[in-house]
Amino acid sequence: MVTGLTFVALLPELVAVGFLILVLMVGVFFERSIGLVAGLAALGALAVFGSAAGLLAAGFSGEFFGGGFVVDNFALYFKLIVAGSAFFAVLAAARWSGGTGDAPEYLTLILSVVLGSILLVSMRDLFGIFLAIELATIPSYAMVAFDRKRRESAEGGMKYLITGVVASSVLLYGIVLIYGVTGSALLSDVSQTFSGSLTPVALLGLVLLLSGFAFKVSAAPFHFWTPDAYQGAPTSAAAFLSVAPKAATFAVLLRILLEGMPEARPTWTAVMAFLAILTMFVGNLAALRQRNVRRMLAYSSVAHSGYILAAFAALQGQATGQAVEAVLIYSAAYAVMNIGAFLVIDLVGEDGKSFNGLFRTRPALAASMGVFMASLVGIPPFSGFWGKAWIIFSGAQSGSVLVYVVVGALVVNSVLSVPYYFGIIRNMFFEKPTLDAAEPPGGGALKFSVYVLALLTALFFLLIVPISALAGGSGLG
Amino acid sequence: MITTITIFFPLLGAILLLLLPEEERPLRYAALAVAAVPLLLTLYIYFAYGSGLEVPSLTQDFTWIGSLDIGYRVGLDGLGFGMFFLTALLTLIAVVASYDVRENLKQYFAILFIAEVGMLGVFASEDLILFYIFFEITLIPMYLLVGIWGDENRRQAAIKFFVYTFLGSTVMLAGFLAFGILAGTYAMESLTSGGGLGRTAQIAVAAPILFGLLIKVPAVPLHGWLLDVYVSSPISTNVVLSGILPKLGTYGLIKVAIPLLPQGVQPFLPYLAAFGVINIVYGAFVAFLQPDLKALVAYSSIGTLGFILLGAASGNAVGLNGAVLQQVTHGLYSALLFVLVGVIATRTGTRKVRELGGLAARMPWAGGLLVLGAMAAMGLPGLAVFVSEFMSIMGGYDAFPVQGVLAALGIVLSAMYLLYMLARVVFGPVERPAYEAVEDAGPMEMAAAVPLAVLLVLFGIFPALLVSVQRPGVEAVISAIGGG
Repeated sequence: MVTGLTFVALLPELVAVGFLILVLMVGVFFERSIGLVAGLAALGALAVFGSAAGLLAAGFSGEFFGGGFVVDNFALYFKLIVAGSAFFAVLAAARWSGGTGDAPEYLTLILSVVLGSILLVSMRDLFGIFLAIELATIPSYAMVAFDRKRRESAEGGMKYLITGVVASSVLLYGIVLIYGVTGSALLSDVSQTFSGSLTPVALLGLVLLLSGFAFKVSAAPFHFWTPDAYQGAPTSAAAFLSVAPKAATFAVLLRILLEGMPEARPTWTAVMAFLAILTMFVGNLAALRQRNVRRMLAYSSVAHSGYILAAFAALQGQATGQAVEAVLIYSAAYAVMNIGAFLVIDLVGEDGKSFNGLFRTRPALAASMGVFMASLVGIPPFSGFWGKAWIIFSGAQSGSVLVYVVVGALVVNSVLSVPYYFGIIRNMFFEKPTLDAAEPPGGGALKFSVYVLALLTALFFLLIVPISALAGGSGLG
Repeated sequence: MITTITIFFPLLGAILLLLLPEEERPLRYAALAVAAVPLLLTLYIYFAYGSGLEVPSLTQDFTWIGSLDIGYRVGLDGLGFGMFFLTALLTLIAVVASYDVRENLKQYFAILFIAEVGMLGVFASEDLILFYIFFEITLIPMYLLVGIWGDENRRQAAIKFFVYTFLGSTVMLAGFLAFGILAGTYAMESLTSGGGLGRTAQIAVAAPILFGLLIKVPAVPLHGWLLDVYVSSPISTNVVLSGILPKLGTYGLIKVAIPLLPQGVQPFLPYLAAFGVINIVYGAFVAFLQPDLKALVAYSSIGTLGFILLGAASGNAVGLNGAVLQQVTHGLYSALLFVLVGVIATRTGTRKVRELGGLAARMPWAGGLLVLGAMAAMGLPGLAVFVSEFMSIMGGYDAFPVQGVLAALGIVLSAMYLLYMLARVVFGPVERPAYEAVEDAGPMEMAAAVPLAVLLVLFGIFPALLVSVQRPGVEAVISAIGGG
């Protein structure tokens, strides 16, 4: 039954749809005024953020559409992350897409991904989840391939498309099998099937489902599309896609596992532990060898997926609540530092050498990048430290030897990641400038984004208390 | 509140400095003003509350993360106050002595002040996680200070420093996390005497913590990062690097490891004392072999850190008082020596001991102060280091006779190389005609060196000025050990 309350519950999604249409239409008529279109898209992202924040502040929650769509603190929190990331992606895109004349289309794609992602985190029905994932993913193929002037972009987009389609079919097959066993796609019904001993078909469904998700969050060994896609993609796309849809996918995976199959916990925590260890090592070892900063950050995003998966492995016993908090905190911490790091590339360049001597030519930018790099390593007091600390706290409370191994691997990997992140810092602060000091004109919005994100990364410790309070009332765990 | 203000004032100062225009003189004055504020605040704390620091005072405590009992908890007790004061003092001295830094002056001061926030914070932390965070906040600023403003070898030095100390602090964090999870809190107050942990658990937790702290000191043989870093740094960075940074490690021993994990540390104590002796003897021998004056002072500096380890390991009141005092006196004398090395190197153009000679005639002030600093370093009675080294050895001898005797021999060794150095550099014939024309230390250089020399004499004659403040803190440690 659709009531007035339903419209309130759907407010962020409705706002996103409204702005999506608006941006597309205004783009048709004012093709040349990129500032207007980008401003409108940024306003749209802010409006989505504002409406989600409003619902959160009002303490709104409830189930809609027969339980298939849920609004709770957990979902609203991830809507905030998605909308916030989109805001910075739009600011970054405004400058880049200036050359192509296709700015409105590109910005529409960003808003479509936002729509898919914010729907995704509220879904409680497996088919709804699949649709929302596709709604977020299909525009992202186009975003990756959007930079027509570079061959890598087309190549990355194609690889992403092919692997993404395979992943989607695997995911869908898993969902269908689970649906076949359960007779319902609602997570509350699914949990009935996944109690007691699992039937082989249910187990197969679970494995396929998890594999599909592993593709989507670029967990090893399903990560190989990531470096090509992010290296080829326009910077704003790489920054946005490596954060927002990924955070939403992690969020819905958390919901599926905790609400849909809590009884099968021993099975999926073991799978997660295995994926986490593999993903961390693969991401970091590959990142160590990269000279291209964009590709390095792409592998780094694989490694960070591994860190978040470590929190999933810790979702057991009395550590569950803490592990949910860890996923929430890590997602926000990663969003601010990683978007920031990607955006700096647009201002400086993607070759490691182009960072040389940045401290002497553009000290504020160098300091910001320094903050992002130190934060990605996990040095306090920056955001990345808090994310890792929470994962370690929850892992230590889990009381499982396997999780201790995962946590140990996380610490080892943090040390392992020092050389490549600090390579950038060394280039910026210790080397002599190789490029001329003249700063390219423009990029005001981009610089503004970088500074704001650096500030958020540095002051993240102020956000810890509200986030963990929110996780306590999230209803999950 | 005053503690928090003192800790974070330099951060505010750093931000203000970055907003100033790029003009040298106003920048230097502004930096002096910023550095003076924490020092004045600590002096105020000394005179207003100095006699009552039995338990952490001037505290601020609010729980940050309730479920894990992590909090922003700061306070000053007798153990930390001396170093808190010294940090504020040496930062000011470093600003005065920054005449050798010419490029990117603004950023230099800003980074120095951010490091000061971390250092002040460590000496006032009453929570393990907060301690770790402040400990780590010093890491990147020091890395940048060495790496940007050091000499030709700076990159390698900075990276070595980073890798060693990051590894050490990560291992230390692992120990802290395990400790807090087992005990259910990170408040140092509730963790005293083990926080309810059994002996085996305490040992398991203490081992990584000790390892991390000893790298920071550094205790020989974990000192691989030290020489390059000390030699490559600009002089004003040396002041902080040798005066404060090692104390993050030794203070961690005295404030965290020993009172919080008495049973866990206990089996390691003889080795800790032995590490102290190794530092003393090794430092003295290697210093003797150094052709470079700065390297000589660097090894002298890690040598005398050994007395802190010895005194801390003793576990008795005399030794611990000696160790806590030595943290301060060591900072004063090594900062003084580094400042003077800078003066001599800029005047003569060399740091080679063999090429120097007869500076007393041309540089009476600098030469005289160098003699005073070296006398302090060898523990001559009447100067502050004598008191603290003597107490450390007495306490150390009580607990570990062999180590105590060997440490006393170390004093003789240090006298040997220091007297040799003085004979070459200050006295003796004028080595080169060019040295006839060198000028004595200028006003800024004197302003950096004289306060240190005065304090060395003052605390040498009236050690009670410091000991009376720190004694209650030491008694708290003793009772924690006894209660464990």
